[in-house]
Amino acid sequence: MSRRLVPGCLVLSDWYRSAESKEFFSSILYKNRRKHFGLLEGPALPLKLSVDTVSYKIFVCGKSGVGKTAFVAKLAGLEVPSMHHETTGIQTTVVFWPVKLRENGRVLMFRLQFWDCGENAIRRFDHLLPACRDQADAMLLLFSFTDRSSFDDLFNQLARLSGPENGMLKLVVGTKFDQFMHTDVTEKELREFQQAWAVPVFRFQSSVSGVSQPALEDVAPLLNGLAEHLWNQDQLAVSLQTEVGVC
Amino acid sequence: MMFQAGAVQLLCLTASSGVPLFCRGRGACRQLPFSVIGSLNGVHMFGSSQDAQLSSTVTEWGRVLWRVYHESITLIAVSSEEGASELYLERLLENVFSCMVLILGLDDLANIKNVERLKRDLRSCYKLIDSFLEVPNEDVGDLTHCADCLIPQEPTILQECLDGFSQAAESEFGCLLVDGKIVVATEKWWRLAPQEVVLLSFLVRSLGGSSSRDYPVFLPQGSPNVPHRLLCFQLLAGVDVCVLCGPTPSLQKVERELVCRFWSPLIDCLRICVRLKGRCFPGTVSIPQGILGLLLINRDNSRALCSIQGFQESAQSSASFSQERRRELLRQFYTLATTRYFLAEPQGEKHRALTEEFQFGFTHEPVQCYLVTDDCKCFGIQTPQYQCFVLTTDSVPTFALRSLATRTLTALTTQTAF
Ligand SMILES: Nc1nc2c(ncn2[C@@H]2O[C@H](COP(=O)(O)OP(=O)(O)OP(=O)(O)O)[C@@H](O)[C@H]2O)c(=O)[nH]1
Ligand SMILES: [Mg+2]
Repeated sequence: MSRRLVPGCLVLSDWYRSAESKEFFSSILYKNRRKHFGLLEGPALPLKLSVDTVSYKIFVCGKSGVGKTAFVAKLAGLEVPSMHHETTGIQTTVVFWPVKLRENGRVLMFRLQFWDCGENAIRRFDHLLPACRDQADAMLLLFSFTDRSSFDDLFNQLARLSGPENGMLKLVVGTKFDQFMHTDVTEKELREFQQAWAVPVFRFQSSVSGVSQPALEDVAPLLNGLAEHLWNQDQLAVSLQTEVGVC
Repeated sequence: MMFQAGAVQLLCLTASSGVPLFCRGRGACRQLPFSVIGSLNGVHMFGSSQDAQLSSTVTEWGRVLWRVYHESITLIAVSSEEGASELYLERLLENVFSCMVLILGLDDLANIKNVERLKRDLRSCYKLIDSFLEVPNEDVGDLTHCADCLIPQEPTILQECLDGFSQAAESEFGCLLVDGKIVVATEKWWRLAPQEVVLLSFLVRSLGGSSSRDYPVFLPQGSPNVPHRLLCFQLLAGVDVCVLCGPTPSLQKVERELVCRFWSPLIDCLRICVRLKGRCFPGTVSIPQGILGLLLINRDNSRALCSIQGFQESAQSSASFSQERRRELLRQFYTLATTRYFLAEPQGEKHRALTEEFQFGFTHEPVQCYLVTDDCKCFGIQTPQYQCFVLTTDSVPTFALRSLATRTLTALTTQTAF
């Protein structure tokens, strides 16, 4: 992934605030909270607004306790656990997120399925890691601003993953950004890291807030950013295919 | 005072050396001081060294129960809750140990190699263990060791769909749950030990929120050392289907290829099930007036139906009896009836340890019992196949309780396949 994306160059980052987006977002809200969908369900839009849904599998990984489960819960509008309960096995969560493309004004419904697996479970059971990686469209590497070793671990993880066959989209997320005062990772280090590895880095906080408000602004930068990179990856794949077709 | 009223503490230690492994609690409790944990364990160890097994004690502030599993793990329950029964604490400890086996496997628990590592691994059990400590308890299965069920309007098509789905997922073990209550399950699922069935229901409910799961489980009785995979899919909010599998198929495969194919056509039927939540049996079965809640247990197949909602009743009784209170009253009456009067387990041996001395004096086995309190009444009936406990308002005349309970039992057992 050589092309560097400027945030907002493919999708409208502030669209969720606009009046026009209201109807689309109301399909993922219920009584002013985020709506939860079972596997048989999805957001229902009025016919005139119906849009295409694009589905992605996203593997969330990182050291035990960095906040993977809290991160996914926050994105889905579920209650964020205040205690650390190790995740046993794989746990997937589907998040729907409408996005407007800058290029042609087209609206797409992103169906993002996050695959979260407890780090200690991965070590105990061999089948979990391959199951998470298999056919994943993106990988989110989480580190915690309050845990230096989780940041150092990123280098190993990225090095391990950079096999030629693994062209999977990778993004880095620094969690517990609300604890920035106690950070173990400086801005400078982060900048250097970003340059050395050419991976996008997001800062995120899953602070334990009530579920009473949808708090779209807490999750919009990350979800829009993720959608943008996924869409970009798809477009690159398409153009690559047509090039090959021409030859 | 160290133990505040209304608290339960659970301690887990290594049996050989008394090293604390974890401590969980509910209610207003602070972690017990190390010295108290030490004494509680010490008094039990002292007993063992004298060839005396200390299993429980009652003091003025509460109750303490000790159990040792596989000569390796000691569990201690300390309760200062008013009316905490020995039955409840006994079942709690059994459930907690089963949780530990379910998640870690028996080997690691029975042969502790590295205490620090075990301590760390045990953290992954907390969520499930805590679901047994939660108040109010959503179900009664933790106490009855019978699986909480919900009787659907159309069991046949759900059963057929589940059987087909399980088979397609290469599994003979499948189960459909609403709100942690079993709606239908495959024949093999029902052949798991009753306590395992309860445990798996609790597990599925404790998983909440997520869309799907691939959860390694050891079956405490069926397969304590070889893990299986519990694949679990949330079809609608509160509706889960799960299958127990071997190494294949993958979570992704089942989800992408089977879930929608099998279950989408039944979506309306599933929605109807969700609406039965709380009542747990179809509206077509009519129940006599005056009933606030009922608990029906099928002793042959270890299934339980606990219903606390959807009865014809006055505004006053609906206001003064919250669902939590109804469930709690039924739990207490069940405990009273089964420890004092009804033999819960026909084989008796285990039961004997739980019962108090006096009823061994009975030359007969009681088949009915009742209780009248300030504002409600309870009646229990035992037949060879069923136990039925009903909770009514105090406006029901005491002499009418028997016929009310009998009619309820008949209505439920003749009009449904329970
Ligand atoms: N302050 C703060 N705490 C957080 C944040 N994210 C997570 N936490 C806390 O960090 C702890 C661990 O979070 P989890 O999400 O359970 O960790 P995990 O990465 O899923 O860990 P494993 O499942 O063991 O691999 C919890 O107590 C969370 O409440 C955050 O953004 N801010
Ligand atoms: Mg986790």
